[in-house]
Amino acid sequence: MEGLPPHNAPYFSGAPSAGAGWILRCGIDITGRDKYTSRMIELNNATKQFGSLTAVDNVSFRVKAGEYFALLGPNGAGKTTIVKMLLDFTKPTSGSLSVNGLPSTNAESRKAIGYLAENCHIPPYLSGWQYLQRCAELLNLSRVDAMRQCGRIVELIGMQGREHTKVGTYSKGMIQRFGLGAALIGNPKLLILDEPTAGLDPIGIREIRELLESLKDQGMTIFLNSHLLSEVEKICDNAAIINNGRLLVKDAISALVKDNDTLEDVFVRLVKGQDENA
Amino acid sequence: MKMPNALSPIIRISKYTLTDEIRQKSFIIMFVICAIFILLIRGCYQGNYMVNGQALDAETIIRVVSKLTFHIIAVGAMLLTALLSMRVFRRDRDDGMQSCILSKPIARWQYVGGKILGLWALSVIFMFSLHSVVFISASISLNAVMPEYLIASLLSSFNLLFVVVAVFLLSLLMSDIIAFLCVLGIGIVGLVADGIYALSHSQMAQAMIGQAGPQSDWTWWKAVYYLWPKLSGAERFASSFIGGEGFPGFGSIYPLINVLFYILILGTLLFWRFRNEDII
Repeated sequence: MEGLPPHNAPYFSGAPSAGAGWILRCGIDITGRDKYTSRMIELNNATKQFGSLTAVDNVSFRVKAGEYFALLGPNGAGKTTIVKMLLDFTKPTSGSLSVNGLPSTNAESRKAIGYLAENCHIPPYLSGWQYLQRCAELLNLSRVDAMRQCGRIVELIGMQGREHTKVGTYSKGMIQRFGLGAALIGNPKLLILDEPTAGLDPIGIREIRELLESLKDQGMTIFLNSHLLSEVEKICDNAAIINNGRLLVKDAISALVKDNDTLEDVFVRLVKGQDENA
Repeated sequence: MKMPNALSPIIRISKYTLTDEIRQKSFIIMFVICAIFILLIRGCYQGNYMVNGQALDAETIIRVVSKLTFHIIAVGAMLLTALLSMRVFRRDRDDGMQSCILSKPIARWQYVGGKILGLWALSVIFMFSLHSVVFISASISLNAVMPEYLIASLLSSFNLLFVVVAVFLLSLLMSDIIAFLCVLGIGIVGLVADGIYALSHSQMAQAMIGQAGPQSDWTWWKAVYYLWPKLSGAERFASSFIGGEGFPGFGSIYPLINVLFYILILGTLLFWRFRNEDII
């Protein structure tokens, strides 16, 4: 990303020493039990029906803390519905979901989450800075902390100099960056990204990938919803593939992709296979 | 002093709601036009008015015009509140603020509470500012302050809360414009029911009923009169304080209790409905 310092370089000065905790490059402190909690996300027989349509059908899987997990599937497979259930944006028809050990219906579970929506929208009358500040205030950060974090985030997403102009003048890529920045405020332990590279050009995609890789290095759990299989293959540890609301497979990328196959080959084979069986 | 944890997101969300609405140019323009209109009403204070061949004294004119203006402002504020309320949830959804807020550790009741508080505060400020303009003009013309005018303004602010809650609830169930029209309809039906009830108790109507025999059935209108949201009644109760009429008695407080009761019922339904709403 433009303006990004090299990996492992501190993004800001004045970080406490190692003894004070793992205060990392973008100020993310992952000290505490969550680093060692094995289950950051857990779905138990989660089902979601919209009338006669079953969007998610009896899906169960777990994502461990520190994992870089990708949820893959064709359009309408139920990926976004799973994300919405994790955030309690929609209630499961049956089954249960938990985040960081708390039921997803408990608002406290969202303390651990940073969320970037698919097709991120930001009110056009706000500036990027005002948007980040609102996000910080909603997390109950003190004014000083909020200002400090917003400053760091603006640097991290490479938007210095543009943060005080109105969002209405931003490109799609810039809005996406501010959306990602907003997700990073408050040092979340889990980052849920729904198509984070949607609408970005190849350079923007690479920049986001580099940023996500750096976050992974810091031990943050990342839950990625994406269509870009080549990107997923490069950066994710584990992946699950769903189709028609059903979980087809969940495994390590290295276990899924064998011989000369690519993740795309595996994906197409599994999805087509299920469609033909159906 | 640190705010209690549950309260602080509500205050923040209400602050954002208020500032986002004020940011709209249309709101500022509307406020300026209303303020100019209210200031122009001052001209009525200086006119010569005759009733039954007798000239009215300046004080009576000022009090009557001020009371009339009080009602015009209150009804205008209700209309404006309904217009602003009908698009609050939709705009928040379209701008991505709803999903942004609710992806944070903020409960849905806190979000809805913040929205209600923000919009109610804005409407009350709008109405109170316009009432204050009349209050100042009338006080200068009368050479005496009328504090009851401002008390009446605060009392009629409950009507605005009713409008906010009702439009919010209905906008979750139907299209925004239909929600607005429904609440407008509630106000109009209440006004008509009040009118019919008053008419039925007039001497002329009583005489007509007496001539026609006991077959006339007013029970239906009586039920509407007592059970329908009594926005106009609450408005009349509030305005009865103006002009030194004093406390109008406990019987006339019923419309206010009726409105508060409806706020409670609709508010409960709103929180329950939004709890089950899918966030887009």
